[in-house]
Amino acid sequence: MTFVFRMVGRELRASWRRLGFFFVCVAVGVGAIVALRSVIQSVGVAMTSETRALTAADILIESGQPWSKEALALIETALVAEPDVTRTASIQTATMARPADLTKTVAKVVELRGVEAAFPFYGHFVLQDDVAYRHDLLAGGGALVRPELLVQLDLQVGDDIVIGEGTFEIRGVILREPGGQLGAFSFGPRVLVDHEDLLATGLLGFGTRAERQLLLRVPDARIDPLVRALRDPLRDEFVSIRSYRRTEDRIAANLRRAENYLSLIGFIVLILGGIGVWSVTRVFVQQRIRSVAILKCLGATGGQVLAIYVTQVAVLAVGGSVLGVAMAGGVMAAIPTAVADQAAAAAGLADLSYGLTVSAVTQGLVVGIVVSLLFALGPLLEMRAIKPLALLRWGLLPAGARDWTQIGVAILLAGGLLMVASWQASSWEAGLWVCGGFAAVAGVLHAVGQGLIRVIQPLGVGSRFAFRHAVLNLVRPGNQTRVILLAVGLGSFFIIGIHAVQANLVNAFALEIGDNPPDMFLIDIQQDQADGVGALLSAQTGRAPNLLPVLRARVTGVVGENTTLETVREIRRRGMGREYTVTYRGALEDNERVVDGAFWDDTPSDQAEVSVEESVRSRLGLELGDTIRFDVLGREVAATVSSVRTVDWDDTRSGGFMFLFRPGVLEQAPHSFIAFVRGPEGADARARLQRDLVAGFPNVSVIDGLEVIATIRRILDSVTLAITIVGGIALLSGVLILVGSVAMTKYQRQYDTAIFKTLGATSRTIMVMLVVEYGTLGVVAGLVGSVGALGLTWGLTRFLLEINWDPAPWINVSGLVLTALVVGTVGVVSSLDVLRKKPLSTLQAE
Amino acid sequence: MIELRNVSKTVVSGTEPLTIVQPLDLSIAAGEYLSIVGPSGSGKSTLLGLIAGLDVPTTGEILIDGDAITALDEDALARLRGRKIGFIFQFFHLVPSLTAFENVLVPLEIAGAADARDRVTALLSDVGLEGRAHHYPAQLSGGEQQRVAIARALANDPPILLADEPTGNLDSANGRHVVELLQSVNTARRTTIVLVTHDTELASTADVMLRMRDGQAERVTLEPEREAAV
Repeated sequence: MTFVFRMVGRELRASWRRLGFFFVCVAVGVGAIVALRSVIQSVGVAMTSETRALTAADILIESGQPWSKEALALIETALVAEPDVTRTASIQTATMARPADLTKTVAKVVELRGVEAAFPFYGHFVLQDDVAYRHDLLAGGGALVRPELLVQLDLQVGDDIVIGEGTFEIRGVILREPGGQLGAFSFGPRVLVDHEDLLATGLLGFGTRAERQLLLRVPDARIDPLVRALRDPLRDEFVSIRSYRRTEDRIAANLRRAENYLSLIGFIVLILGGIGVWSVTRVFVQQRIRSVAILKCLGATGGQVLAIYVTQVAVLAVGGSVLGVAMAGGVMAAIPTAVADQAAAAAGLADLSYGLTVSAVTQGLVVGIVVSLLFALGPLLEMRAIKPLALLRWGLLPAGARDWTQIGVAILLAGGLLMVASWQASSWEAGLWVCGGFAAVAGVLHAVGQGLIRVIQPLGVGSRFAFRHAVLNLVRPGNQTRVILLAVGLGSFFIIGIHAVQANLVNAFALEIGDNPPDMFLIDIQQDQADGVGALLSAQTGRAPNLLPVLRARVTGVVGENTTLETVREIRRRGMGREYTVTYRGALEDNERVVDGAFWDDTPSDQAEVSVEESVRSRLGLELGDTIRFDVLGREVAATVSSVRTVDWDDTRSGGFMFLFRPGVLEQAPHSFIAFVRGPEGADARARLQRDLVAGFPNVSVIDGLEVIATIRRILDSVTLAITIVGGIALLSGVLILVGSVAMTKYQRQYDTAIFKTLGATSRTIMVMLVVEYGTLGVVAGLVGSVGALGLTWGLTRFLLEINWDPAPWINVSGLVLTALVVGTVGVVSSLDVLRKKPLSTLQAE
Repeated sequence: MIELRNVSKTVVSGTEPLTIVQPLDLSIAAGEYLSIVGPSGSGKSTLLGLIAGLDVPTTGEILIDGDAITALDEDALARLRGRKIGFIFQFFHLVPSLTAFENVLVPLEIAGAADARDRVTALLSDVGLEGRAHHYPAQLSGGEQQRVAIARALANDPPILLADEPTGNLDSANGRHVVELLQSVNTARRTTIVLVTHDTELASTADVMLRMRDGQAERVTLEPEREAAV
């Protein structure tokens, strides 16, 4: 073994420059895995350590409706047995806020929360200017608000705001709050007021969407028993009960999922690196044939020779993996503190300390080494075929026979990659999908490479010298054509595909706000306000608004031909336990189509009839004629299913409803209205409309569609940026492989170039050869990436996002051109020293 | 002692079989210096490769010190070469990534020799390269590279030294130096030498000459001529 180790040292000393690329391939992949995992794990540690603060209580009891007498009685009964329970109530709702100063014509949707003195049980508020939080700040008409509201409403601490029928003095600015809804969509900035003051605003009318919470502080040992004691009797009430531990579990599960999927992305980058490793090793083995033959001639056995090179690869894999870990550490250290603070604030965390985690580093190292060895083993095994006789008679390598060991290694490689992918994703299914998808894309790229070689081979007999030899370079034995196509093609496929998907998403939203679209959404218009709101909207927008009656309803039972569901629990099991917004009307909207049964005519009926959306039918196993029992604000309504509709959710300009009732029954029930309107042009006019609406109808909330779309666009931009970074890493791997492939074939190229120069070829001729060779490769790689991206966007838009497919030709064409330019430039620049080198020194060295 | 019994080598050239070495019986005594001469393509190097176990004969068997090497597998042949056979090539075939010292050291390390480094120093001194030990092959002249190759071939003090056109790539002065080295090895160590060359002057320095033409071998005794030349 001493001989093996000594030879490893000598070989590394001699070829580290050539193999440096091997190093980088492994390092980029490992770096991606370690960095992505570490970030998520750090966030996970921070979040799970603060879950009590995120919930602000040990147990949270929530209801979307006013507490029913029955529910309150059942809660009291369960709590009587628990002497050490402390409780506090909270309500939150989305509503409008405006400055009390009427000269300021602006109003905004806010997330209003009313809390009592005992809030919060866990965590603490951080207020601006180091003001300590105390309930006194809220008591007697005080409010704490988020800083963005001050900017939006042009207010400062000490000013008054009007919410509903109440006027509140802003007494502080919230920088961080406990008990926030982690990751939940928010309609607007937080405003915190006293619980009693919120009740006095008059906002909680019929149909208002408001969340009532009861927060409990319980001794640790009593948390789980009390949750059970509450859940059991309350199972048929529309009340949810959860402990902070469930939040912890949910966060942990979400983070684990995110970590696993991000690691898969890192793994894909590493596979690209692995392809680079394979390519480098293959060329390296070709360059080592003579040395191996010499060693065998001097008495080294096949095992010793293989051991030398496998150990060498293992050393490089370890070194590359360690370099990857260092790179990940460097990247994490380089994340600006401001970004981390912002992320921490967004997640509701006090602070977010992040760094490399032991688990991420270990996984990165193991995956890096295993993948490198798996990819290198195939080419290394070719060394077994090298005979010492090659020293006497060159070119006498055995060929043709089926090599079972190589076949075994291929199976080992496939199995190994599947296991590593499944390990990284913590799912066999995900591992299979990733490996299968990768194999499919790689297979296509390989076939394209093969096809390219076949197609252009006849051009190698053309008349122009430079063109002919560029073609010969692409097709000669040991060419890197397929490897470069695979690596660069995959990278460009990722990047072009992701940008095309983003373009499709933005298009889909643009379609929603289409030609003459409603761009303001009014909610919580009470029955007695409908005429007034309608008149105001007509006056300021010049169009009569379409007010839709809405009620909030829950499904409480089904009596049907195939399905009978008696309890809320059974409904919940079918995923239908939430509260639905329902409406009634006599005609279908443009975005609806009846697929089964018949839609009623315009005449009202006192027999309740309902038309259900198609997914509801499948979830509840409904047939036409079945009866669904609804709880509509405490009133039971049993409706017959008379039709099934599809709703085009891409086009919800007129709303989209799971349950649509026939007119004649729900008019009697207390309900509110919503309205989709086309707001006036210009920010000032829009602000004035909102202000006037809030001034006249304080409980009505106005959501400005343009702001929502701007927010969605911002989110999409962030997501696209994140995915582009990952795609960029993939493309970087591709470029690295390209550079490596050029470097590895440089020695052969130098020799050829020296002979061409000796025979009279000018540098210009050689340069044209390089440009044609790499330009062709780049165009084909870009073409494959673009065509793949077209397929990807088609599949994603059609089957996953369910939006219209736009081929986004400009993105594909510019992607193709950029790929061709990158490959051409990198290929030519990496080969420049071949041009510069004097032919004599190369020929003498040979 | 090297013994070839009915050894022949036939390869397929295109679709036709081509016999490179016709069936041959040959004995080379221990300490004997045999040269093989003949024009290009006469089968000289193929015969040398067969004796070294680098190639497998189509018929017959080859025995070294009574052991049939034709029955050995690749690894056993490698070990046999490490112990008993030194090889010198026309194109030197030094490992380009190793220094002169390391090139000579490799066979000793493979064999697990104890005093390897001292022995390498001595061998390089014997071939007149003590000052060039840490140079890479690319930094040495052709003659120097061949002397490193001879030192390497002698590293394990093998009883058999096989040389394939050892002066074919050298100028006359360096060629003469290499010939003198081989003769001194044969004389001083009683090493069996099989030398392939198309240079009849060089071939005549051997005890026995084997002349090959179209795969046929004819043995020619040279002892008196050699003595006369000396």
